[in-house]
Amino acid sequence: MATKIGNWLDERLAWRQVWTAIFLRKIPKVNWLFTLGSASLFLAVNQIVTGILLTIYYVPTPDHAYDSVQYITTQVPMGWLIRGLHHWGASAMVVMVVLHMLRIIFYGAYKFPREVTWFTGVILLIVTIGFGFTGYLLPWDQKAYWATTVGTRIAGTPPVIGEWILLIIRGGEELSAVTLARFYGVHIWVLPTVLLLITLIHLYLVIRIGISAVPGREE
Amino acid sequence: MEKEEQITRNNFISMVIWAVGGLISLGMGIPAIAYIIGPALSRNQVQEWIRLGPISKIELNIPTLFKFVIQRKTGWIVNEEEISVYVLTDNGRDFIAMSNICSHLGCRVRWISDQEIFFCPCHNGVFDKEGAVEAGPPPGPLDRYELKVEDDQLFILGG
Repeated sequence: MATKIGNWLDERLAWRQVWTAIFLRKIPKVNWLFTLGSASLFLAVNQIVTGILLTIYYVPTPDHAYDSVQYITTQVPMGWLIRGLHHWGASAMVVMVVLHMLRIIFYGAYKFPREVTWFTGVILLIVTIGFGFTGYLLPWDQKAYWATTVGTRIAGTPPVIGEWILLIIRGGEELSAVTLARFYGVHIWVLPTVLLLITLIHLYLVIRIGISAVPGREE
Repeated sequence: MEKEEQITRNNFISMVIWAVGGLISLGMGIPAIAYIIGPALSRNQVQEWIRLGPISKIELNIPTLFKFVIQRKTGWIVNEEEISVYVLTDNGRDFIAMSNICSHLGCRVRWISDQEIFFCPCHNGVFDKEGAVEAGPPPGPLDRYELKVEDDQLFILGG
């Protein structure tokens, strides 16, 4: 039965070809360091799922942000788990993405013809850090507030345009409801959109070009 | 199913991957369901006796409106909510206390004294003074509160 449905769909969608291209493609003999990208992707999926779940209860206003986070953590069944996965997954993702980048650097995998894969990877690293920066404010506790005070002030240090950058990021002179709302908007709409788009291009290139072999002395 | 195949290394790995993937999905999916439906299923706080006021306020055969404010916790917010109750008596000793919430779709009914009816403006539901349906779409009478009289004070069980 399952085979029949599979065949029926395959005649129309050619999904087996797609499946083969993605999951059964030929790769050189490699080691475990080549799984760091997939691990990053797995963590990204974890962040998306738990992040969507958190938006069901979280409210991004100074009046409610802290209380709604406490509500999630202490009242909602499994809320501690969902929030915990999102919290620790965030740190893990930054670590994993950096390790992935180091492997690319040390194996020279960024070279021709994979430069564009590398560029998109750099964007993904920046996006990941952007997620960390904007997400850090959302619990609206003391640590969040002062970390963002400091972080935005650092963003304001460049000469000439610094003051302007600071105002844009904070949405005004001070950290306020406006700051919280825009950090939230960036965290759940802007960055996910960029992440998804760039990840698709990144993966397309990985599959299209194929992965590099472990560099050796020979040849 | 087809003939028994020998389990190759490839098949084995594939099965392990599907199994691990399935476990992770379950480990995420089941808590997610609990997380989503949990607060919806938790019941409100316990009911308690609420004092409406002295029975001397109640006129014979006319539903009398009592209002009181209760604190209600929803999610992380504590709200003050005004509750309205109509109390009716025909002898000054036996009382009935009716909710002003229409049994149709939850709008608030009000007593129209010259017509002697409770009227719901949303879909023209009409109840008599004891809360029984007279006309319109309501499927049943107005809800009643349990009540008691102590020292000439009227109490209802609510919350």
